[in-house]
Amino acid sequence: MFLISELVVLLGTNLILSQALGISTLFVAAGSRKNLLWTAITISFFTTAGSFGACLVNSLLPDSLYDLRLLLYVLIIGALYVILLTVLYFADRKNFGTTRKYVHVSAFNCAVMGTLFTISDKAAADPSLDNLGSYIAAGAEAGTGFILAAFFLMAGFGRLNSKEVPAAFRGFPSMLVYLGIISMAIYALI
Amino acid sequence: MNRKNSVFDGFIRDNAVLSGLMVISPIIVCGDTVMNAIAMIYAFSAITFISVLAGAFIPKKLSYGVKTIILAAIGAVVYIPVKFAAYDFFPSVMERTGIYFMLIAVNSLITVHAQVKFYRMPKGKMTVSLISHILGFDVVLFIISVIRELVAYGTFCGRIVDADVIISGLGMPFGGFILLGLCCGIYRSIVGAVRKNDDSAGGDSDVSDF
Repeated sequence: MFLISELVVLLGTNLILSQALGISTLFVAAGSRKNLLWTAITISFFTTAGSFGACLVNSLLPDSLYDLRLLLYVLIIGALYVILLTVLYFADRKNFGTTRKYVHVSAFNCAVMGTLFTISDKAAADPSLDNLGSYIAAGAEAGTGFILAAFFLMAGFGRLNSKEVPAAFRGFPSMLVYLGIISMAIYALI
Repeated sequence: MNRKNSVFDGFIRDNAVLSGLMVISPIIVCGDTVMNAIAMIYAFSAITFISVLAGAFIPKKLSYGVKTIILAAIGAVVYIPVKFAAYDFFPSVMERTGIYFMLIAVNSLITVHAQVKFYRMPKGKMTVSLISHILGFDVVLFIISVIRELVAYGTFCGRIVDADVIISGLGMPFGGFILLGLCCGIYRSIVGAVRKNDDSAGGDSDVSDF
């Protein structure tokens, strides 16, 4: 029962299916299952580690400088971007040409930036969520939601790109309609 | 037949939304009323135009990643005055657009497309191409918002119109997904048919060239 309720929460708070955040990135990565999975994992890293930075920024930034929040979030993600590229370079130089593409695609997009803003807004609305643990948990949850949406897309990917679909609707258009139908089902579920 | 790329491709043939599927989150979520759409069009046009032009002065020697970070930072800086002006122009819409107004500052036209396409062109061509890409987004967002507002709420710019059928689901994000998917397919059909015509016309001239 616990797992089912957690799954429903994960679906309900899914940023892709409920708020359409990161759709473009999901489609860019949709070329292959491997790309999709690794991009989703990399985005999860950015949302989780980025939420840690967002918590620090929100606690240190005075209200009068609220409008600088976007710039500071960009700098946090920029720092994570450089750190991750450096780690990947020294960890596995042989495959760096491939792995760096996932980092390039995953760093600056609506999924990551949108997650940071959504978490911050929730924390501002509910003070009990305004702590480091809640931020990181929400960041990890958003990343997991992205992986879940990637699995949904992978499940239908073959059929949506098959010759049975009219040429004009093959690929991206049918994927959008497919995600729309899943989003509608989740909306009805909640 | 080889077709030369035109600087106006961004408007129709290489449309950022319908062809490239870029910046679609604001369309799906905020493109449900015309007033929302106008506010987003203003923000997208101002932030993208200024950021991409300013980013053209970033040294080319820098690595792709560093340039991406600088471009995103430029977008975040440009966002601040644009937001202040938006509160004067669209005070009631700003609450509704929420985080999507901020997310426009790091859209993929600025962080990715600028480096991959715009900065490889001469400055004059780049500016025209950039404007055509921005207009392409603006037109699609406007058309989709008109359809969604009319069909979902039976209004146009907030005024009630005589609509026979109301499908309220079209105002929800899932309605945005489905409508955008359908528009994308229709756009592809039209572009495909036009290309076919162009190719057959071009084919004749190629033969005569021999």
